[in-house]
Amino acid sequence: MLNHRASRIAGLLLGLALVAAAFAASVMLGTTEIAPPTFVQALLHYDPARVAHIIIVTERLPRAVIAALVGASLAIAGALMQTMTRNPLASPGILGINAGAMFFVVIAVSLLPLHTPAEYVWAALLGALVAACLVVMLSRGRQGELSSLRVVLAGVAVTAMFVSFSQGLLIVDQQSFESVLYWLAGSVSGRELSVVVPLLPLFGIALLLCMLLVRHANALMLGDDMVKGLGMRAGTMKLLLGLVVILLAGSSVALAGMIGFVGLIVPHMARGLFGVDHRWLLPACALLGASLLLLADVASRFLMPPQDVPVGVMTALIGTPFFIYLARRKQAWP
Amino acid sequence: MKARARHRCQLLTVLLTFFIPLGAATADADDGRTVTNAFGDTHIPATTQRIVTLYQGATDSAVALGITPVGVVDSWLEKPMYRYLRDALDGVEHVGLETQPNLEKVAWLKPDLIVATRFRHERVRPLLEKIAPTVATDTVFDFKATLRLIAETTGREARARELLRNWDARVADFRQKIADTLGDAWPQKAAVVRFKSDHVRIYSTGFAGSILNELGFEQPNSLHDQGWGMKLTSEENIPVMNADVVFVLLEPNDPAIMRNYRHWTSHPLWKRLDAVQDERVFEVNAVDWIMGGGILAANAMLDDLYTHYGLDDPHAPTTSAAACADETSSRSRVHDEESSAC
Amino acid sequence: MTHSASLTQPGNDTDATTRSVILSALLALVLLASMGLSLSLGSFPTSFDQIAHALTAPQDSDIAFIVWELRLPRILLAVLVGAALAVAGAILQGIVRNPLASPDVIGITSGAAMAAVIFLALFGTGLSIHWLPASALLGAVFSALLVFLLAWKGGISPSRMVLVGIGLSAAMGAVTTLLIVISDDAAAMVAYVWLTGSLYAAQWQDVLGMLPWLLIAVPLCLTYARHMDAMALGDHVALGLGVNVLRSRLVLMACSVALAGAAVAFAGGLSFVGLIAPHIAARLVGRSFGRLVPASALVGALIVLYADLLGRVAFLPKDLPAGIFVSGVGAPFFVYLLHRSRKRLH
Repeated sequence: MLNHRASRIAGLLLGLALVAAAFAASVMLGTTEIAPPTFVQALLHYDPARVAHIIIVTERLPRAVIAALVGASLAIAGALMQTMTRNPLASPGILGINAGAMFFVVIAVSLLPLHTPAEYVWAALLGALVAACLVVMLSRGRQGELSSLRVVLAGVAVTAMFVSFSQGLLIVDQQSFESVLYWLAGSVSGRELSVVVPLLPLFGIALLLCMLLVRHANALMLGDDMVKGLGMRAGTMKLLLGLVVILLAGSSVALAGMIGFVGLIVPHMARGLFGVDHRWLLPACALLGASLLLLADVASRFLMPPQDVPVGVMTALIGTPFFIYLARRKQAWP
Repeated sequence: MKARARHRCQLLTVLLTFFIPLGAATADADDGRTVTNAFGDTHIPATTQRIVTLYQGATDSAVALGITPVGVVDSWLEKPMYRYLRDALDGVEHVGLETQPNLEKVAWLKPDLIVATRFRHERVRPLLEKIAPTVATDTVFDFKATLRLIAETTGREARARELLRNWDARVADFRQKIADTLGDAWPQKAAVVRFKSDHVRIYSTGFAGSILNELGFEQPNSLHDQGWGMKLTSEENIPVMNADVVFVLLEPNDPAIMRNYRHWTSHPLWKRLDAVQDERVFEVNAVDWIMGGGILAANAMLDDLYTHYGLDDPHAPTTSAAACADETSSRSRVHDEESSAC
Repeated sequence: MTHSASLTQPGNDTDATTRSVILSALLALVLLASMGLSLSLGSFPTSFDQIAHALTAPQDSDIAFIVWELRLPRILLAVLVGAALAVAGAILQGIVRNPLASPDVIGITSGAAMAAVIFLALFGTGLSIHWLPASALLGAVFSALLVFLLAWKGGISPSRMVLVGIGLSAAMGAVTTLLIVISDDAAAMVAYVWLTGSLYAAQWQDVLGMLPWLLIAVPLCLTYARHMDAMALGDHVALGLGVNVLRSRLVLMACSVALAGAAVAFAGGLSFVGLIAPHIAARLVGRSFGRLVPASALVGALIVLYADLLGRVAFLPKDLPAGIFVSGVGAPFFVYLLHRSRKRLH
C-alpha cells in the first residue's frame, strides 16, 4: 500500500510507463514480428504496399487503442460500482449492463440483419442503457432513494432475465450463436478505428463527469449522508455516478464484448496499492485496467497460435493469480 | 461378421420367397437379424418400415437407398431440410435437432428402427433402445459406414453395394484424370475454409477432409495435429491457410459472411497464397461439403471437383438420382457452381 | 454486510413459526399439484386419465413409456435439482452473510462447468458420456477445495472466501469459454446448452444418483440451524453463544458443495436458482435457518419444475433447456417481491 503522496505519484508514473510498454508490445508482437522503426515509419510514412504497415494500421493499432480504452473504462466503472454499492462483489455487470448489451446484440444478430461489430455496437449501447434504467427503476425505494442492496439485487435479477432470453435465442439459432461467439467471449480484434470514433464523445463525457465527482465519490463511501456535506443529495450523486458507469461500461461492452473480469478485479488491485481515495484510485484503475487488457491481448496471440484466444479469457487467466494473492494479503474491503 | 450376417439375410430371403407359399412352418427362422454396430449387437426385425434417422448423414443415406424415413432431424442449414433432400422428404415429420432429438416425438412415431450415432446420442441410448431397436455409427462423417449400416438393417445391401461401387469407380477415375492433368503438380495440398461473419475456419478432418484424402489430396502443412480444425480471427494469420488449392465454403445468403469474405480476400497476404496465385480458389456449397454427410452429398462434392478442375466426368449426372427415383420424384437440387449465382 | 436474523419478540415468534409452517405446507401442495400438471404436458397432449392409467397400470397403457421413462424421471430430477441448489444457496448466503452469495460465486458451478466442458471437448469421443456427471461433480469438489485452500489463512473469513471464489470462478469460466470458442459448432452448442442448464434426457439413474445427496445433506445442515442463526449475528456473538464457528462453517460448506455439485453435475449450469430461491423463501418465512431451508427447497423445486415445463412445451417442437426459463420464471417473481418489500428493505 502506497501511503505517501510521493510514492503514489511514483506509482502512477510507473503505471503510465507500464501502459506505454504494454501498448508498444501489443503493436509489435504477434504472428508477424514488427520492429520499432517499422512502427514509426508506418505512422509517419505510411506505405500501402508494405504488408507490415498494413498490419500495423489495420490490425495492431486499432487493437491496442481499443484494448487500452476499454480496459481503462471498465476498471473505472468497476471501482465506481463498488463504491456506490459498498459491495466488493459489485462490477458493472451487476447493473445489468453486460446482460442488456448482450440481449440487444443477440436480437440484432438473430432477428435483424446486423452482423458485424460496427453494426451492432449501437444495439449493445442501447441494451446497456435499457438494462441499467430498468435496474434503477426497480430498485427505487418508496421515497425514491436507491439503496445499494436493492440496486445489487435488482441488477442480478435483470441480468439473469436478459441472459436467459439471450441464451434462448442463441440456442435456437445456431447461426447467430456462431456470429456472436467471439463477442460473447470478449474480443478486441477485427475492429477498425472507425468503430471507435463515434463512441469517443461518450467516453469523453464520462471521464469529465468522473473528474468532477471524485470528491463526492470519496464521501459516498463513508455513507449516504456524508455526501450532503458537499452540497448534493446522495440519490442525485448515485444517479450521476451511475450514468458514468453506464457510459463507460456500456461503450466498452459495445466495442469489445463481454470482458467482465476487469471491472471486478482491477479496482481491488488498485485499492490494494493506492488506497480508497478516489483521486488516486480512479487514475490507478485506468492505468492498471489498460495495462491488463493490453497485456492480455498480447498474451492471447501466443497461447495457441495461430488461433487467437478471446481477450476476455486471457484477462481472467492473467488477473486471477494476482487477485487471489491480494485477497489473501489483507482484508480487501476496509 | 457382417458378411456372415448378410449371407444369412440373403439365405433367409430366398427361403421365405420359396417356402412361404407352400405354407411351410419354417417359423423357427429368426424374426429378424442381429446387426453389430457402435451400440453393440442390436436385434432388429426382419422388415423395417418405420425408420427414424437421427443425424444428417443417416437421412442422406436413407434417401439414397430409396427409403423414406418416418422421422428425421433438422438440417443445420437451409432449414428445416436441405434443398437437395426436400422433395424426397416431403411430409416427413421432424423430431428436433441432431444434438437433442425430441424423444417424446420419436416415441409417438412408433418406429421399428432408429439410426443414431454414438458420437451424439450415447447419452440417450438407453431411452432410444426402449423405443425401438437402435443402431449407431461411431462418427457422423463416415458416410460409407452409415450407408452400409442402413443398408444392412433394411435389407438393401444390394443397392448399397451398387452405390459404393459407383463411388469407387468415380474416385479411381478422378485420381487418374487429375494425375494426368496436373502431372508433377499432383498431389496438391488442399485447404477447406469456411467464412463466418467474424472469423474464418479451416477444417482438417471431417467429411470433406476424408473425401479429399481418399481422392489423393494432401493436408496443408499448418494443419497437422489440429483436431477438427482451427478458427482464425486475425487477417495477419492468413498464411496459415496456404495451400495449392483452397476450397471456400460460403453461405451466399448471408450478407455479413460475404462482406467478411470480401474483406479477407482483399488483404495483400491473401494475394500471396499459392492457391490465389495459381487461381485455384474455388467457391463451393457448404451443404454438400460439410453438412449433408451422406453419399448423395459426397457425390455432389465430387461433381464440384470435376467441374473445378475441368475434368471429364463419365459418371455425371450422379447415379444416386437413379437410386432415389423409384421412391421419390426427381431430385431437385441446385448445383451451386458459381457462388454469385445464389 | 449482515442481515439481521429474524429474532422477533417472543410473542410474535410463535405466530411467525405457525405462519411459516402453513406457508411451507401450502408450497408443498402446490409442488405436488405442479408435478401432476407437468406430467400431463409434453410434445403431445395427454389427459389426466391417460396419465393416471399409465401410472397405475403401465402394462396396458399406450403412453407408459413416455410417462415412466421420459416425463417422470425428468420431473423428479427437476424437483431434486431445484431443491438442492436452493438449499445450497441458502447455506452459502447464511455463511457468507452476503445476499449475492450463491454456488456460482463461490466457484462450485464454474468448477463443475469447466470439468464438464473439458470432458465434452476433449474426451467426448473416447470415454462414455455416462462419466459426465461424475466429472462435473469432481470439478465442483475440486474447485471448492481449491477455494478453501487458497482462502485459508489461519481460519476462514467469509469475505476472503468469497473473493477467492470470485477470482477462481472467473478463471475457470475463462477456460470454459475458451474451450467452447475453439470447438466445432455442434460441440460448442452442446457445451453451451449444458452451461445454460438442461434436464434433457434425464433418466432414472440420474434421479437415483441425485437423491442420496439430498437425503444426506439436507438433514445434516438442518442440525446446524441453531448455529447458523447465531452466526448470522456475527462471529463473536456466535462464539459467545458456544458455537464452534469453524466446525459449523466447514460442515455447512461441505453440505452446500455436495448439494450444488451434485445438482450441477446432473443438470448443468442451473445455478441461478441457488441465488434467488432463498431470497423468495425468506420473504415468505423469514430468515431463521430451520424454516428457511425447507421453504427454499420447495421454492427451488417449483422454479426448476416450471422452467423445465416451459422448455418442454412452450416452443414445440423444440425442447429448450430449463436454464433459460429459470431466470425467466424466477427473476420476475424475485423482482416482484423486491418491489413489494420496498418499505421493509433498506
